Amino acid sequence: MDIWTEKYRPGSLEDVVNQRHVVDRLKEFVKNKSIPHMLFAGPPGVGKTASAIALVKDLYGEKWHQNFQELNASDDRGINVVRTRIKEFARIKPIDAPFKIIFLDESDALTTDAQQALRRTIEQYSGSCRFILSCNYSSKIISPIQSRCSVFRFKPLEKADVVEYLKRIIKAEKLSVDSAALDAIFELSEGDMRMAVNLLQSSASFGEKITSDSVYEVASQAKPKDVKVMLDFAVKGDFKSARKKLHELVLKQGLAGEDIISACHREVYNLELSEEKKVEFISKMGEYDFRISEGGDPIIQLEAMLAQFMISSKKQ
Amino acid sequence: MQVWTSKHKPKKTSEIVGQKKGLDSFLIWHRGWKPGKKPALIHGPPGSGKTSLVEAFAEEKGLEIIELNASNYRTASAIKEVIGNSLSQASLFKKGKIFLIDEVDGASGREDKGGIKEILGLIASSKHPMVFTCNDIWNPKLSGLRNACEMIQFGKVDYWSAIRRLDEISKKENMTASKDILSNIAKRAGGDLRSAINDLQTFSQKKDLVISDLDSIGERETDANIFDVMKIIFKTSSGLAAKLSIENVEKSPDEILWWIEENIVNEYERPEELAKAYEALAKADLFFARIRSRQNWKLMKYAIDLMTSGVAVSKKEMYRKFSKYQYPSKIKYLSITKGKRFKENAELAELGKILHCSSKKVRREYQPFLKNMVKA
Repeated sequence: MDIWTEKYRPGSLEDVVNQRHVVDRLKEFVKNKSIPHMLFAGPPGVGKTASAIALVKDLYGEKWHQNFQELNASDDRGINVVRTRIKEFARIKPIDAPFKIIFLDESDALTTDAQQALRRTIEQYSGSCRFILSCNYSSKIISPIQSRCSVFRFKPLEKADVVEYLKRIIKAEKLSVDSAALDAIFELSEGDMRMAVNLLQSSASFGEKITSDSVYEVASQAKPKDVKVMLDFAVKGDFKSARKKLHELVLKQGLAGEDIISACHREVYNLELSEEKKVEFISKMGEYDFRISEGGDPIIQLEAMLAQFMISSKKQ
Repeated sequence: MQVWTSKHKPKKTSEIVGQKKGLDSFLIWHRGWKPGKKPALIHGPPGSGKTSLVEAFAEEKGLEIIELNASNYRTASAIKEVIGNSLSQASLFKKGKIFLIDEVDGASGREDKGGIKEILGLIASSKHPMVFTCNDIWNPKLSGLRNACEMIQFGKVDYWSAIRRLDEISKKENMTASKDILSNIAKRAGGDLRSAINDLQTFSQKKDLVISDLDSIGERETDANIFDVMKIIFKTSSGLAAKLSIENVEKSPDEILWWIEENIVNEYERPEELAKAYEALAKADLFFARIRSRQNWKLMKYAIDLMTSGVAVSKKEMYRKFSKYQYPSKIKYLSITKGKRFKENAELAELGKILHCSSKKVRREYQPFLKNMVKA
């Protein structure tokens, strides 16, 4: 089985969708065979990883694997990774090239300690090694690291960009997709190309003819249904059941706190509440979403949120 | 001079006091035991008669006790040496054998590395019944053992049984002690019969004992039990009492946080109070997050106060009901599924390498679609 996000990943900077302001600079770096340390910042699915890999392929050609190391900070986020794996790779001389490249994806997940350790490593090995860091929020990268990197901000993709790329895939896979379905894919993906391609591939499993119905069908399968059930319990005042559902979502289904809140946010408008209450709920969600991004535990924070929902719908 | 606690040790199981239910389940367990069946894990507070029961039982049935307690080193190799060899051998002098691994919760994580795991491995191959004892059944170290054993609960020795036993002993020792004195000793022992007997022996040397003499002995500091801590936090209206309640319990603050998380719903019923309590807990959780990310341990006091006092004062008044406090479901779930989760995470990480993203992202963005993609 091919996963299309990989099958159609840009093989060269030429193929990267939009992000011209970044890509043009990157091409110059390749031409001059000299690149600085870089920090790629931007929302998910807009081409950060794609640009990094495309850059490396353009730079090193066939043997790009030799001088390239990809690490995912969200899986290996501790200081030990910086002290061991990163150092070990950086220490060894590049093969047939002036320098190697380490791509540190989701580096906003690195602990502060690890970032502090990284800061020295970047300097120490800059003779033989370049770092490309990617992150969603550059504010989570400590300023000493930011100051050592050129910061490139990736913009959210426009609808035309996403549709154009999807059309390339549609042609190659010999699918037939109507324009309503393309609209639906873009809307559901919110400009995230990875999500858009996944939606397209999943919808294709229902047949070569893709309609907006099949797209919505696939999307709803992937959506956590239980979120609505959980919210209903809270609104009805049955906190115990709401809590039980929450534990199920987090522990058994392994959903991230942020995703549960986003799903809640989408569901609010379907709840039987006055419009005013809905706005109140949304303002509360924002608060707990922020707390989770600050490191709060999703179960405890969402429990507090559900309890708030319970009393404010009672007052209605 | 002999110590009374061993001099007056029960010789028969019928002499075990105040543990009717525990005793019965032990006898039933032993009657049904044959190689391959679960060992017994007797849990209960100090001085409730756990070890005495096993010793009295062995005496009664003529069994040889092979014992290993916290004073022994209990590393994997030490255990193999003591127990491993005699697992399948018949006893030389007695009718049979019984293994007693006393105070398993006293096994030190570092010093006795691998000990509990080793024991778990031996259980299946044992030709003789095996009994474990511990105080704190919910000690995380024992999670593997809990599942592998038949659990037998011992409670505190009740007040009246304790008095009766003290009375018997004082008569045998020709000691004149009034009912008042005995009941006072029993009361301050708080269900720990061993300490009551020790106190009795201490006072026996004085003639014409009066109640005020008892004050010369300090009360024992007992390890608070997590269930008692829950009771205080949820029943008290004093923020300070709630805060102090966790001081003597051998659990880390972040583990206690999950105990409180689990039990708020078992106690509070009024929606406003639930909301207030969870909000206090959520704020405590934020302080824990800040402590973790910045290693700023100074913030611990705020986290602790919010989760104890904050939750305690969320109620308008005490609920006059009996609440059954429970073990945190999150911790329970995580320990049951540890192996499965480990395997799944490894698979996700493997996929992540191919797809150039983190395992978190694979779980979130690919997993829901994978089933369809395989078909495509």
